[in-house]
Amino acid sequence: MTDTGRPILETRSLAKRFSIGTRFSAEGRRTVHAVDNVSLTVRRGETVGLVGESGCGKSTLARCLVRLYDITDGKLLFEGDDITAKSLSELRPLRRRLQMVFQDPSASLNPRRRVGDLVAEPLRIHGKVSAKEMAARVAELFELVGLLPDHMMRYPHEFSGGQRQRVGIARAIALNPDLVVLDEPVSALDVSVQAQIVNLLADLQEKLKLTYVFIAHDLSVVRQVSTRIAVMYLGSIVEEGPAEEVFATPAHPYSQALISAVPIVETTPAGARKRIILTGDVPSPLKPPSGCRFHPRCPIAADRCRSERPELKEYRPDRKVACHFPTLT
Amino acid sequence: MILSVRDLKVSFRTHDGPVRAIDGVSFDLEESEILGVVGESGSGKTVSLLAVMGLITDPNATIEGSIRYKGRELVGLPTRELRRLRGNEIAMIFQDPMTALTPVYTIGWQIAEQIRAHRGLSKSKAMERVEQLLAEVNFPNPHEAMSRYPHQLSGGMRQRAVIAMALSCDPALLVADEPTTALDVTVQAGILDLVRKLRAKHKSAVVFITHDMGVVSELADRVMVMYAGRVVERGTRTELFSDPRHPYTRALLGSIPPLTGQKPRRLPAIPGSPPSLLRLPQGCPFGPRCPVRYEPCDAGKPGLGASAHAAACFRVAQA
Repeated sequence: MTDTGRPILETRSLAKRFSIGTRFSAEGRRTVHAVDNVSLTVRRGETVGLVGESGCGKSTLARCLVRLYDITDGKLLFEGDDITAKSLSELRPLRRRLQMVFQDPSASLNPRRRVGDLVAEPLRIHGKVSAKEMAARVAELFELVGLLPDHMMRYPHEFSGGQRQRVGIARAIALNPDLVVLDEPVSALDVSVQAQIVNLLADLQEKLKLTYVFIAHDLSVVRQVSTRIAVMYLGSIVEEGPAEEVFATPAHPYSQALISAVPIVETTPAGARKRIILTGDVPSPLKPPSGCRFHPRCPIAADRCRSERPELKEYRPDRKVACHFPTLT
Repeated sequence: MILSVRDLKVSFRTHDGPVRAIDGVSFDLEESEILGVVGESGSGKTVSLLAVMGLITDPNATIEGSIRYKGRELVGLPTRELRRLRGNEIAMIFQDPMTALTPVYTIGWQIAEQIRAHRGLSKSKAMERVEQLLAEVNFPNPHEAMSRYPHQLSGGMRQRAVIAMALSCDPALLVADEPTTALDVTVQAGILDLVRKLRAKHKSAVVFITHDMGVVSELADRVMVMYAGRVVERGTRTELFSDPRHPYTRALLGSIPPLTGQKPRRLPAIPGSPPSLLRLPQGCPFGPRCPVRYEPCDAGKPGLGASAHAAACFRVAQA
C-alpha cells in the first residue's frame, strides 16, 4: 500500500452519550457525556496513542471507532466514506478491515474451543475459503504471532497470559485488516512479557502495513508504540501531537501533570523529580464542570477558564492544544 | 529491628502436587524503613507477606522458618494473639480497597470500629480520632466524608480511607500489597506522597509490594527482587538501580520503555514467561530465560549470600 499518510479513519465532532436511570429513579433520567466533540484523524501507517485517566472516555471512543457502539452525534468516516449510521449488514464488509484487540485475553476467548478454531473463526465468517486454505492460513497466523503449530489443539486455559494475547492478536489480524484498535493490550500482562507483545505489535505493523489506535494507561508503553498521541480528559481531547514531542514538551497543564506523575526508575534521591500533584478526582461526566472541564483541578486556572471552554486549536503544525494558557515552546 | 524473617518457606498441597510458593526468603526491616518488594505474578511477593501477617489459613499450607516481630516469634502463634497484633501493631493495605471495606457501613463507622476494638475508646472519642485521620490522609472535607458509604467515594478516596484505617492505631509495621496498582498515575502520585509523609510522621516501617520498578525507585529505601518464590537480588535503592547485578533485575529494568530521550526501535524483551511453580526447572529458576546461563546454572539453585547488596546468581558470585 503506497498511500501511507492518507487519512484512514476520521471522526468529526464525534459524541457518545449514555442515558442512565429511568424517570422513576431518584435523579430521573440522566445523561453521561462519555465522549464529547472529538475530531481525530488517523492516518494510514501511523499509531495513534490515546491516554488519560480511567473514565476519560478513551475506551468508549475506541468502541465508537469500530462501531461497537452507536454514535450519538457527529460523524465517523472510513477512507472518506461516512459510516456513522451504516446498518450492521452494510458494516459487515468493513469489519474485516477494522479489528479490535481487548485487554483481557481470557475474557475474549471462548474457553471451550481450541485456539486453532478460535483463530479460524473470522476466516470462516468472512472468507469463502476451503478447509485446506483455512488450515494453511491458521498455521501462517500462528507463526506470525510467535506461537507453535502444536499449540493449535490446545484450549485457552493452557496458555500463559502473554500467549493468550498472541491468540487474540492472531484473531484480529486473520483477515488482513487495515486498522486495529488495541484497548489496553498489555495491561494485564506481567512486566517481563509486556515488552514481547509490544515488539510483536511493532513487527506486525511493519510486515502487514497496519494502522493502530493504541490505548494504554501505562504512558511509557504508549510513548514507545505511538507516532502520535491524543491526551483525553473527561471525554474530550485536550492535546494532540507527535508522541515524543508531547512527552518532552507537554503544552496542556493536564498533560504536564499526567506525565510528571509517572514513576520512573532513577538513581537520584527519591522524590527529587518535580511533580505536579493534582488535587481532587476526575469530575463526573454526568455533570461536567462549566468552561474548561479541567479548571477545578488546574493549577493555573483563571476566571476565563471557568466560563469559556477552550477549543482544540492547532498552535503549530501538527501540535494541537485545548487551553487558554498553554505552555508553548 | 521491627521485623526479621529467616528462611521462610511456604508450600501448598494441591491437586497437581505440592507447590512451594516461597522457597527460603529472609529479610530484615528497621524502624521507619520502607522495603520495596518487586516481582511478577507468582513470584511469591504476596504469599510471603500474608505469611508475615498470619493470614495463610489454608489447611493445605505448610509454613516453615521464622518470622520475628520485635523479637517475638509469629510462626505458630495462636490466632487470638495474632489478632491482637493485626490491625493494631501490624496493619495491611490491599490492592482493592473494597476487600477491606464493608459496603453497608459508613467510612467513619468502619474506621471507628477498629479504634474501639483495639484501643477501647468511647464512640465519640473514636469518631474524633477518625476525623483527624481522614484529614491526615488529605480528605478535603473529613467531617462530611465520615458519613459517606464506600460506594460514594472514588477509588483513590477509598484507598485513602483504607490507609486512614490502617494508621488508626499507629502501627509499627505497615504492609502494603500493590496499593496503587488499580489507580491512575495521578492518584498514585498522591498516595505515594502520602505514604512518604506518614512514614516520616509515624515512624512506621513499611513493606511495599509492587510489580512497578518505577514506584519502588520513588519510594523504597531498600529493595528486594523476587522470582519464582525466591529472592534473586537485594540491596539499597541506589545499589539496586545504579548497579543491578542479577540478570533478571537487569533484564526487567531494560525492558521498561523510556519516558524521555530516544525511543529504542525494539524493546529488549525477556523471552518466555515466568515458570509455573508446579514445574520449576532443576537448577536456577531463571535459567531457561537467562541470557548468561552456563553449566552450573542447570545443576543447582544459586544462593543469595550474606552481603548487603547480593544477587542469587552463579555468574555474579564468580565475577
